[in-house]
Amino acid sequence: MAVTVKVVARPAGIRGHTYLVAVAEGMWVTFRHLMKNFPGNVLGLRKKTDIATLSYPEEKQAYPARNRGLHRLMKRENGDVRCVACMMCPTVCPAHCITIVPEEAPDNAVEKRPRIFEIDELRCVVCGLCVEACPCDAIRMDTKVHAPPTLRRADAILDMEALLARGEPSIATQGGTGPFWREKV
Amino acid sequence: MAADPRTAVETVTVIVDGKEHKFPKGMNLLEACLSVGVKIPFFCYHPGLSSPAVCRQCLVEIKGAPKPVPSCYTAVADKMEVTTNSPRVLEIRRQMLEFTLLNHPIDCPVCDKAGECSLQRHYFDWDGKLARNEGDKVRKAKVVDVGKHIVLDQERCILCTRCIRVCNEVAKSPDLTIANRGSHSVLTTAPGQRLDNPYSLNTVDVCPVGALTAKDFRFARRAWELCATPSVCPGCATGCSIEIHASRGKIHRLVPRENPLVNKFWMCDEGRFTYKAVTENRVRLPSIDGKRATLPAALAEAARLLGEDLAGAPQRVGVVFSFQATNEDTHVLLRLALDGLKIERVYAGGRALGGSDTILVSADKNPNTTGVVRTVPPPLRTLKELTRDLATGALTTVLVLGNEALPVAAATPVTVIVLASNKGPLVAAANVVLPIAMWAEVDGSFANKDGLVQRLHAAVPCPGEALPGWEVLARLGGKLGVEMAYASASEVFAEAAGRHGFLKDAVWGDSSRPVQLRFGESRG
Repeated sequence: MAVTVKVVARPAGIRGHTYLVAVAEGMWVTFRHLMKNFPGNVLGLRKKTDIATLSYPEEKQAYPARNRGLHRLMKRENGDVRCVACMMCPTVCPAHCITIVPEEAPDNAVEKRPRIFEIDELRCVVCGLCVEACPCDAIRMDTKVHAPPTLRRADAILDMEALLARGEPSIATQGGTGPFWREKV
Repeated sequence: MAADPRTAVETVTVIVDGKEHKFPKGMNLLEACLSVGVKIPFFCYHPGLSSPAVCRQCLVEIKGAPKPVPSCYTAVADKMEVTTNSPRVLEIRRQMLEFTLLNHPIDCPVCDKAGECSLQRHYFDWDGKLARNEGDKVRKAKVVDVGKHIVLDQERCILCTRCIRVCNEVAKSPDLTIANRGSHSVLTTAPGQRLDNPYSLNTVDVCPVGALTAKDFRFARRAWELCATPSVCPGCATGCSIEIHASRGKIHRLVPRENPLVNKFWMCDEGRFTYKAVTENRVRLPSIDGKRATLPAALAEAARLLGEDLAGAPQRVGVVFSFQATNEDTHVLLRLALDGLKIERVYAGGRALGGSDTILVSADKNPNTTGVVRTVPPPLRTLKELTRDLATGALTTVLVLGNEALPVAAATPVTVIVLASNKGPLVAAANVVLPIAMWAEVDGSFANKDGLVQRLHAAVPCPGEALPGWEVLARLGGKLGVEMAYASASEVFAEAAGRHGFLKDAVWGDSSRPVQLRFGESRG
């Protein structure tokens, strides 16, 4: 497809040729905002609707309540990882950032657990689909922690240890609600 | 169309859901309904086994019958009126699923069958309601080591008895049974016995749920991560039709593919592990005298050695065909060595004879013995004669296709050029090694012991610098002045089919792309 060029005619008359009026109008807008934000930013009387200038990093933006942040892996009551390596999260992940290698769990009632669980936080698009897909409440994105800057790409890949460091026991019953029948025979 | 009196069968007219259909007399009603696209769920029925009608999932209404009847246990009869979708039938279907799910653990996240499970599929298709059961489910044993290759989960078992019938009817080895009564029924072996028959892994295939799982595949991949490619088992001369299930370039399991002419629905346990050779111990790079070389350099060195020896003492040069190689590789080697280079000492070898049975396993452990014997004109000398000729010095140069462990010690003054796929003593001793692809990595064909020519499809990429055997041979031919130009295996096949009688009626067929099992039809 050929590139089309649209020639815009210069505004007619002295007003259009000099732009003086337009410059003055622009200056007026700037001045208006200055006056509007002056009490908030300079005198410390900021209202919610004011345009904020944050003194980052001393001052930090408050995130909305639904902000997700880094992943974490939840734990069972005995401290083991809740994940059963069902592969739902790597299947659903649109960024292919989750790597799981399963292994046989020593406890027959658990049966399967991850040997390797890695998340590449550089690839992650923070969509939260892994949390939606998880049938065990094993993975969460509720830490509200930014992916920290790293010097090497490999450092941004969180392993199971790092993911479990923020983990805690989930109040959800493993295997769903209702009578907890999955005990050792 | 006039009916052929020799093949004509008596047909009956059956009305299925208001539509008239004609079926051969005595046909199973479930099969009849499925053949005209009427969907009926089932667990215990399997086309290759007898029907005990234990799961009650395929109940349909027949006009005149006092109660719904199991369609898998009913033969079609003339003027039968069958209803498969009335509210009553649908409700019965849903209730039967609810019964089946009553004690099922629903541990799909850890179950290897998830994604190809009949129970999952039927629940989504016909039930979809929340569980109403209160109280505890009956607990049974999990992770029971029932056999060399198989793990049993008694909780997941829905007691369809397919595995029992596979053992009884296919393997002729009654290893499994149902013990106890009611909700406490469990699938088990006799005390002290194990599920160790040579067809035991077929029980895993027929299991509609994840009660029986293969140790080899356990937790390797989820079903939806696999891609299925049709192929032929290279384990023996029977040539069972199989599906290669691979994921990200790696084969994870082989499962039988329905073929009424050869293996019906089954394959032996031995054949299932033939993929190990494809993933392990491969020759990835060409080498000259054990040192890594580029492919053009290795080809040039091979051509130089062959050319010199052919010019010097042509009667001391031999060529070794492989009963493991495809018809395409064999044909190109025939053109190169016999037509082009006029080598007279022709040998052929393969894996040694092994055990056999009357079910599927052949004693000949090579998939293409028939194809090689019918391609290469006699006399075809054996490996024993090759050993003797090498020992007496009658042979000083050999061009070998395949990896048969020839008795070539590094010390013997024999020039060996080998096209190999797996490492071994022969590769270690060879002067020039050219890596070639294996059966799962190429398009090609095998002729089984009955002369049936079957297609192989490439399922995984070739490792390293390996190429299909015919391609390496054609390039070697180019260096030796034997021009052979093929763009693909199908061109080789077309040329071979024009020359060798046994390939005349064979059809190359379409190339098959791997089909992802994700959301696919359950094999259960």
